[in-house]
Amino acid sequence: MVENRASAVRLGRGFWSVTLLFAVLSVLAIVFWYWTPIGIVMPVVAAQPGIQIDDLFRFMAASGSALYIFVVGYIIYFAVAFRARKGEPYDSIGVQVHDNHKLEFWWTLIPTLFVVLLSILSVRIWYGIQIAQPANGLVVEGLGHQWYYTFRYPGINGEVTGEMHLPLGQPVVLNVTSSDVIHSFWVPDIRLKADMVPGLVNTIRFTPTRLGKYPIICTEFCGTRHGWMNATIPGANGQPNPGAQFVVIDTPANFQKWYHAWQIKNAHASNALPTASTGTVSLAGGDANAGKALFAQKCSACHAIGPFSQRIVGPGLKGVLHDPSHPNLVDGDPATPADVAKILQQGYKGDIGMMPNATANGLSNKDIANLVAYLKTLK
Amino acid sequence: MAVATLPHSGAHEEVDQLYKETRDLRLQGFLLFLISDCVLFSSFIFAYFYMRNSGQGWPPPGIHRLDVAFAAVNSVILFGSGATMHYALENWKHGNFNRYAMFMIATIVLGLGFLGGQAYEYTNLIVKEHVTWAGSGIFGASFFTLTGMHGFHVSVGVIYLFILLLQSVHGVYTKEKYFGLTAGTLYWHFVDVIWVALFSIFYLV
Amino acid sequence: MSTAAVSHGGGIADHIHPEPQGFIRRYVFSIDHKIIGIQYLITGFVFLVLAGLLAEVIRTQLLHANGGFVSADTYNEVYSVHGSAMVWLVIIPLITGGFGNVIMPLQIGARDVAFPWLNMLSFWIFPVAGLMLFSSFLMGAPVAGWTEYPPMSLQAGAGTSMWAAAIFLVGVSSTLTGINFVVTMFQMRAPGMTFTRMPLFCWAQLATAPLLMIATTALAAALAALFMERQFGVPFYDPTKGGSPIMWQHMFWFYSHPAVYIMILPAFGMISEIIPTFARKPIFGYKMIAFSSMAIALAGFMVWAHHMFTSGLAPYLQLPFMILTFTIAIPTGVKIFSWVATLWGGKIHFTTSMMFAVGFLALFTLGGITGIFLAAVPFDLHVHGTYFVVAHFHYVLVGGSLMGIFAGMYFYFPKMSGRLMSEKIGKWHFWLFFIGFNGTFLPQHWLGMLGMPRRVPTYDPQFTFWNQFSSISSYVMTFAILLFFINILVSLRNGKKAGPNPWGARTLEWQIPSPPHYYNFKHIPTVYGLPYDFSQPLPYKGLEEELTDTPVAVGAH
Ligand code: HEA
Ligand code: HEA
Ligand code: HEC
Ligand code: CUA
Ligand SMILES: [Cu+2]
Repeated sequence: MVENRASAVRLGRGFWSVTLLFAVLSVLAIVFWYWTPIGIVMPVVAAQPGIQIDDLFRFMAASGSALYIFVVGYIIYFAVAFRARKGEPYDSIGVQVHDNHKLEFWWTLIPTLFVVLLSILSVRIWYGIQIAQPANGLVVEGLGHQWYYTFRYPGINGEVTGEMHLPLGQPVVLNVTSSDVIHSFWVPDIRLKADMVPGLVNTIRFTPTRLGKYPIICTEFCGTRHGWMNATIPGANGQPNPGAQFVVIDTPANFQKWYHAWQIKNAHASNALPTASTGTVSLAGGDANAGKALFAQKCSACHAIGPFSQRIVGPGLKGVLHDPSHPNLVDGDPATPADVAKILQQGYKGDIGMMPNATANGLSNKDIANLVAYLKTLK
Repeated sequence: MAVATLPHSGAHEEVDQLYKETRDLRLQGFLLFLISDCVLFSSFIFAYFYMRNSGQGWPPPGIHRLDVAFAAVNSVILFGSGATMHYALENWKHGNFNRYAMFMIATIVLGLGFLGGQAYEYTNLIVKEHVTWAGSGIFGASFFTLTGMHGFHVSVGVIYLFILLLQSVHGVYTKEKYFGLTAGTLYWHFVDVIWVALFSIFYLV
Repeated sequence: MSTAAVSHGGGIADHIHPEPQGFIRRYVFSIDHKIIGIQYLITGFVFLVLAGLLAEVIRTQLLHANGGFVSADTYNEVYSVHGSAMVWLVIIPLITGGFGNVIMPLQIGARDVAFPWLNMLSFWIFPVAGLMLFSSFLMGAPVAGWTEYPPMSLQAGAGTSMWAAAIFLVGVSSTLTGINFVVTMFQMRAPGMTFTRMPLFCWAQLATAPLLMIATTALAAALAALFMERQFGVPFYDPTKGGSPIMWQHMFWFYSHPAVYIMILPAFGMISEIIPTFARKPIFGYKMIAFSSMAIALAGFMVWAHHMFTSGLAPYLQLPFMILTFTIAIPTGVKIFSWVATLWGGKIHFTTSMMFAVGFLALFTLGGITGIFLAAVPFDLHVHGTYFVVAHFHYVLVGGSLMGIFAGMYFYFPKMSGRLMSEKIGKWHFWLFFIGFNGTFLPQHWLGMLGMPRRVPTYDPQFTFWNQFSSISSYVMTFAILLFFINILVSLRNGKKAGPNPWGARTLEWQIPSPPHYYNFKHIPTVYGLPYDFSQPLPYKGLEEELTDTPVAVGAH
């Protein structure tokens, strides 16, 4: 065997010319990802902050392609340049290098820097999506069912079925939950999705920026017809697919029209939300202490223990059952324990927003009794 | 059982070397087994805290706090058995077979005592307080699952110790070669440690 | 013990039992790690065919936008069992139980694993569990995917409980294997085989073993709870009874993210053996490769919630998971770069094994990069639950783990059988597989981004072209795999005799006959250096008699 030292093979002309070639290809790839219309890989974005998500994608696709060109490029180049020639004896060996600390240092450092950069970019965009709160957002609730969605708007009685309309330019806060299994709410054109989990309220926030009609797609497996909870799927035999539902982004004027039409249509609809527990709740034996703990877990995200006007999502609940200035509950019924129990059981959607029902809040009848007992103590 | 001293193994050096290495192997294997068993408990403990914190306060409405006093007494019994187990092994190492056997029997009896206490506690909960495994929400689920798993481990341990005792009576172990006893002791201490965790999370916090 | 068999060390490492007689003791309930490893390989490949045929059912259904090949419910069962079987019955057993068993004890110079009987038990649990999983088709197989999120999995048919029991069992098998391997590598290395001289495949198994032992147990707990809830109504996950569906997701992914590293690290290990052998060069950066396996395994425990970005994780929790996930690119990159650097300046022989190894580099890197895309929360909010994810994980699993397994098979087949696999069929296998694979899964990236969700038996008609492209390519891939099996069968009978070391490899297993004797080594060798120095004499002593006819003294005690 021949001793074959590192110095015997230098990085020659070939190496540097292919490196140059990869650099050129990488630049082309970067240019491609920044100049290409996004429409070839994703639907054109219809809401903020989708643009930032597209930017992040372009950044990752560009740098990912550049990286990939180098890695695969060198693999191919080495495979060709250092292949064993025909007739070369098998025991001839390659350059016996074991490592090169400088090289290893750089190829650890550069990805690290890249990771830092990517983290900074992603965190900034993440902040805008997950944390920043829009001013005067329209609060809408989406509820997943096997296998369709319903929506609730402040000011429309009952539930909106079929299309969901949103006004152009107004921020939307969409709270989603489910009445049975996990579903997901995804509008590819809006770029956002949130799982609809029973007993949990998830929120996405966005501002529609482009008029149009966009399909809603369920991306969490939810049973036999999961595949049809998707507005792009036609029904059988030319019939419409009952699970096909769209988000329609309207001009504010058209939105108002639609909104009024639903207000009229649903004028007499019950604001009670469909619920698994029907029948009246017995309030006997409610335990205020248990109710207090439960309240901290399930209610305090939306309700402060303050005056009616102190809102988080729902109104402040201090003195609901004792407040002479607020003799009726939001649903117009008198403020009695039984009526509060009804709201807890069935949920209620009024001008303020959506109060989830017992299913969505994960409340048993006993829980309701405990909560009412606790609310009674708030004077 | 009136053997006062342990039989010495008559084997020559090579075998002893072999025994030593086999013992190291088994010891490591056994420890790793205990670690993964510990992860099993930890996962359920994670589940317990997860449910406890996302739930409805603890204990959930309608369920009384568990009786600390009784469980404390029962814990003392279990920890006592840990001590007797320790002495059993020590005595074996020093060749006192009789005291070894005595401590071993004490350990088994204490283990059975603990199981009896647990059975009593279960009956009390189920019959008097109507707290059951499947019917009392996440409280029943986590309490009975975790303590039940532990109780199962104790039962297995009692049987294991009993077998060890029989084996040592029949001369399976010698003063130098007693890996089974080491493993039994380790297992028993492991069960103790798990109980410390369970006792604190269910009865104390 | 006869002194003839005693070399350095003595003791357990040199403990020789007589070879058991009779077919059953030798080949069925064998305690020999090599036989057990081959049993794993055979069983795993049988399940590969079954699970792969299910994949072809998936692709055939998706030939047309409105499906029509099978019903929606059947489709759901098909991909759920496909995913579960591929993960738990194919890749994990092949890559840990299979290759780990065959190769690792030979590489460290041991006569067997630490607990041969336990090893046999681990193996036999596995086919039983596999049969249980497939038999769930008889009673309404699981439908909610391999992830089985409740409450869906609480609603589904009886097969879901069977699924939980089966996966629990394979979990037990994996855990026992993990324990066995760790003890073997800690206690049974040949004299002189320090950790810093251990071959990289063993390092990879060493990094994998804790994942097997610890993560799998967490899954066992989650499965046990699911089983109890389904069978006895004990509330853990049902939100209407106070349980939490999100809790399942945490426990499942706490296992299943580490599990993806269980599926890739041993493949990394085989690549680290194959590339230097055929490049006729020392592996570049031995220490960094060994260390990065450990780093990946460790970090793998801390990133599980990147599967749950849309599930309702508290927003601030998303940050550490996102950033930690990004950082896994760094140790993985170190490996990729080191392998590429190993190619540099080599004398590369493109055997089929090497082609699969180099193909692995190209495909795994692509899958890894799309993994980084997914780890970025804002982008994941768009593509979670779509075919983009499907594309990502098939690139790492098929382009990574399965390609690694193929590379390993072509490489180690001669050691196991004494015969070489056909290079001619092998090259066809490689090229058809490579083309078919990319044709199947590359389009799925843009399908997902454009709006095709996963786990659907029907899709937007505008996606028909790329779906058909994908399906037809997948038939090419099936044909390629068929060639692989044909190659195995043909070569077993007619393959060229391999001799002990057909590749001129330098690790210990290649210095003894193929297939090795029952007791592996006549004398346990002593090790003096790293196994990758092609310019040096072999760093082993005590191997002189291995290839001679000197009989070995057996059955001394
Ligand atoms: C672990 C590895 C693994 C492997 C190797 C594969 C291999 C393949 N997978 Fe799979 N896949 C998963 C893991 C894997 N998959 C997982 C985890 C899921 C998610 C499931 C879920 O959603 O829960 C999934 C889901 C999944 C989907 C998405 C389904 C959906 O969401 O609706 C698709 C669709 O194309 C797919 C396709 C394929 C194809 C075409 C192959 C091919 O590579 C298969 C090729 C192999 C063969 C075809 C076998 C060879 C067969 C023969 C040679 C037979 C001929 C011989 C005789 C008859 C004797 N897989
Ligand atoms: C072998 C299996 C395997 C492997 C190795 C990986 C590796 C990785 N995976 Fe993957 N993953 C799966 C199998 C695997 N994955 C499966 C099965 C699923 C789906 C489960 C389901 O839902 O059914 C999944 C899903 C999945 C998700 C969830 C997506 C979703 O559901 O929304 C995410 C998100 O972060 C992710 C990320 C990653 C990352 C960052 C890596 C990293 O480890 C990759 C690191 C590698 C590289 C980055 C390439 C090489 C590096 C360089 C060349 C250096 C330079 C590079 C950079 C600086 C970027 N994976
Ligand atoms: C997702 C947010 C949300 C959660 C969680 C929530 N609520 Fe509400 N709640 C509301 C909203 C919004 C309203 C007002 C509905 C309206 O009038 O438009 C409301 C109204 C009420 C009212 C009537 C108030 C009044 O003055 O008439 C009561 C009582 C109430 N909630 C109690 C509870 C309790 C108890 C819980 C916990 C189990 C709870 N809510 C959980 C959002 C929520
Ligand atoms: Cu609803 Cu999927
Ligand atoms: Cu992961």
